[in-house]
Amino acid sequence: MASTVVDASGTEKSTATTTGSQAEQDAVFAVRHLWKVFGPKAEKVPEDASLAELSAQELREKTGCTAAVRDVSFDVKKGEVFVVMGLSGSGKSTLVRCLTRLIEPTSGDLEMDGEDVRGMDRSGLRELRRHRAAMVFQHFGLLPHRSVLDNVAYGLEIQGVGKAERRARAMETVEKVGLGGLEHRRPGQLSGGQQQRVGLARALTVDPEILLFDEPFSALDPLIRRDMQEEVIRLHKEEGRTMVFITHDLAEALLLGDRIALMRDGKIVQLGTPEEIVGSPADEYVRDFVRDVPREQVLTVRRAMRPAESGEADEGAALAPDTLISDAIEAVARSGGAARVVEDGRCLGIVDHACLLNVVARLDEAAPDHGKAAA
Amino acid sequence: MSAATTSPATTAPGTASARTARVTASLRHGALGKLLILAVAAAVLVPLASAKWASGTWPHALTVDLSGPFGDASTWIVDNRDTHWFFVYFLGHLSNGVVVSVRAVYLCLLALGWTGVTALVTLVAWRVAGLRIAATALISLLVSGVLGMWVPTMQTIALMVVSVLVSIAVGALLGLAGGLSDRMFRLLRPVLDTMQVLPAFAYLLPFVMVFGIGVPAALLATVIYAAPPMARLTALGLRGADAGVLEAVSSLGATGRQRLLTARLPLARKELLLGINQTIMMALSMVVIASMIGAAGLGDRVYQALASVDVGAALAASIPIVLLAVVMDRTTAKAGERLGADKSAGPSWLRGRLVWPAVAVVTALAVVAGRLTGSLVWPTASVIDIAPPVNHFKEWMVDHIYSGIPVLGGTADWAAGFTSWVLNPLRDGLTALPWWGALLIVAALAWVIGTWRTALTATVALAVIGVLGVWVPSMNTLSQVLAALVVTLVVGIGVGVLAAGSARMEKILRPVLDVCQTMPQFVYLIPVVALFGVGRAPAAAAAVVYALPAVIRITTQGLRQVSPAAMESAQSLGATRWQQLRQVQLPLARPALLLAVNQGVVLVLAVVIIGGLVGGGALGYDVVAGLSTGDLGLGMIAGIAIVCLGLMLDRVTQPTDRRAGKGA
Repeated sequence: MASTVVDASGTEKSTATTTGSQAEQDAVFAVRHLWKVFGPKAEKVPEDASLAELSAQELREKTGCTAAVRDVSFDVKKGEVFVVMGLSGSGKSTLVRCLTRLIEPTSGDLEMDGEDVRGMDRSGLRELRRHRAAMVFQHFGLLPHRSVLDNVAYGLEIQGVGKAERRARAMETVEKVGLGGLEHRRPGQLSGGQQQRVGLARALTVDPEILLFDEPFSALDPLIRRDMQEEVIRLHKEEGRTMVFITHDLAEALLLGDRIALMRDGKIVQLGTPEEIVGSPADEYVRDFVRDVPREQVLTVRRAMRPAESGEADEGAALAPDTLISDAIEAVARSGGAARVVEDGRCLGIVDHACLLNVVARLDEAAPDHGKAAA
Repeated sequence: MSAATTSPATTAPGTASARTARVTASLRHGALGKLLILAVAAAVLVPLASAKWASGTWPHALTVDLSGPFGDASTWIVDNRDTHWFFVYFLGHLSNGVVVSVRAVYLCLLALGWTGVTALVTLVAWRVAGLRIAATALISLLVSGVLGMWVPTMQTIALMVVSVLVSIAVGALLGLAGGLSDRMFRLLRPVLDTMQVLPAFAYLLPFVMVFGIGVPAALLATVIYAAPPMARLTALGLRGADAGVLEAVSSLGATGRQRLLTARLPLARKELLLGINQTIMMALSMVVIASMIGAAGLGDRVYQALASVDVGAALAASIPIVLLAVVMDRTTAKAGERLGADKSAGPSWLRGRLVWPAVAVVTALAVVAGRLTGSLVWPTASVIDIAPPVNHFKEWMVDHIYSGIPVLGGTADWAAGFTSWVLNPLRDGLTALPWWGALLIVAALAWVIGTWRTALTATVALAVIGVLGVWVPSMNTLSQVLAALVVTLVVGIGVGVLAAGSARMEKILRPVLDVCQTMPQFVYLIPVVALFGVGRAPAAAAAVVYALPAVIRITTQGLRQVSPAAMESAQSLGATRWQQLRQVQLPLARPALLLAVNQGVVLVLAVVIIGGLVGGGALGYDVVAGLSTGDLGLGMIAGIAIVCLGLMLDRVTQPTDRRAGKGA
């Protein structure tokens, strides 16, 4: 099964062929060939190879259907932040709703912890939504007639937890997301950022295995958005909870994501770490997308280094291989000479002015790209 | 064909090219096209029709006399009421249940005594709506007592309590069904929409036929009249719930039931309260009118007084009605606002859990105090009879301002003038109009303003009136409606334009309009009778007064809602105020103005029909006569004709986008 996960990912996924069983154990969500088609006789589209190949516009003209998610496959690994990113209309929000069947997928396989989600009956699905996956929404989705505390406790109320207990547990998460003191307000009396903290707290209170975020911060002001992103990073560091994060903001994706799936017209065009996306764009679309990203803040010296020449392996400052280029520039500028990239006391390579500048100036793009593809 | 003159090409002078441009534009718009199609159809059908049945009014050959069957049905019902299983096991229980529950509430109110009722009502109003409204409630009850209307007021309240509870239950259930099921909604929607435009009078007869005159008929007619707004608003509220919130609730694993109880219903609470408010107001309006079919209470007092043109007694009974309406409206509206404001206002001790027990205790104390002083019913010593002075004043008016004032004439002269110069020619004209001509005009108007469906409904409705053989009285009613409508629109839109232009004017008007819109239709007849006597002109005048507030309000709102950007750009181009009004505001407010016309027609018709009580004649009188002489066949036919007339008038003035606009 894992061998089919070729898509655009290339790197880690293709190696999964050998260690397939282990990769699947690690995966919280395993998604295979998932389709969501809206429109009349939607179920025919994924089956029919001639239709499946069509572009979005051709498909609409021919069948009246819109394919929001087309043949998407990926794994979400335990403890990682998996970002799905794309412009509006790329199908990312539909995709995340398919994970808990808020939107029913048209075809494909969907497993959570090895359990078939698509085969679940209503009560099984309800259990999944109640205990295992909680979602944070772009427009918060708070109940306006309830206090912050009761909103946060709502998930537990649905589960049938008693009033005293659910309020106590809700109070803990209210404190955790920094809303202490506001618990008796109504959502309407809070700012957008605060409301989204309530949304986040509501999702956290049910202690889910995985958190799903649907563009949670796009409705917020830039400064508040930064705060909230840091909040998510902090929570992830503290609890190590698995997260699926939908965003249209590349900077947000690069900041939060351990891995990023970039979507276009319902398809994943590239799946990889931020460094892979920025350093080795899979096609022109991705290249265009990441053009304005300050590469020195995403790429590491592993990408910039060249083999050490004789004598160099013992001299100069030592840098870890995952040091950002921007930090390396500072180190190299300070020392005035080349720096060594050292891992476990072994010198992997050398970065000097020329190497670093090449990365910043995008001169490295062509060569390593091919190198990767060959590897 | 007379309707063709409405085509825009014949208006405003202009160059030839401009004229052709207009013609093509209106063709594209479809109005002229529709008229052309109608003209062709008319050219074929009219010669045929007039050759076969040449007459001005509806040809006798095309009528069906239903009074016989209706009479038979009513006789059959009377004969079988005590024996047939349907009456014994279903309607009998229903009617007994109604009588028993109304009686029970009434006895409770009596047992509480006037002290207890006053304390309870005031405290409840305080709790849910604040101090000011509590004071209004207190004063209103005291005034009712002082006017000697305590017992009828309690009777009306007892009827109201039962009918409102039943209406809300029925409405909420229907609304729930419509809110949760698409098919049910599609089914309910047109029915509810139509029920809202029908005059209250039309509901009376069928219930009398089945239940006979009495409390059950009155109460059930009230329920049928008052439940639609609740059903409608419940359905709309449930449908309008924020999809994002519902999705979030589902994402947490809520069951359907949990979704409904914890999210959808609470999210719709504003609409639900608005529905309760509207239901209460409509129930009050109907309970008062239903005095004609056996509802005791204030309405009955008004009805009796009007029958003997005793203006003083009518006024004494109608003041408590108005006060009741104001208190009920304000209390429910304020309660709704408070819920909407997320946080209940007022001092914290008013919001605690102990408030309700405290209300009970204080009420109990008041009851005990009342019993100790020995006055369960309002003490007769403190009743002021206002009827003689009012009647005396009315006599004075009859002597001094009815006629003979130099230059101005007098109110009775005006009424006579209006009758002989406006109503009579209009009625004669409508009656003389060939029946096929009337059908064509209705079809043309409805089609140009609305869609072919509305045109078809309107035309069929008018034809049914003809078939029923009540063409002449219907044309009489129609003439009153049209005359009143024109006056309403001229005055209403004029005042609306002024109010939209001046904040001060609107500030003065608002409380007046608020009170006017809460008053039951019946009440409007009294001042009109006092001023103009009885006849068709007073009925039309009452209709104008009743319909004005809604027309003014809709016009003002429509003009206010015109995009400020458009106004600003007109201003920046140097448009005068008149130009702004004529070229920007009025055209942009067209949908609102059409709605004002539509509402105006519906409201005017409702009161013109009730005007049958004060000499309005025509269909309204047929209903009254049918009720009072027991000739249910005559009444039923008039009732159906009223329904058809209402349908026709509503559809003719129904703008195309009304349904789409309200579809949220």
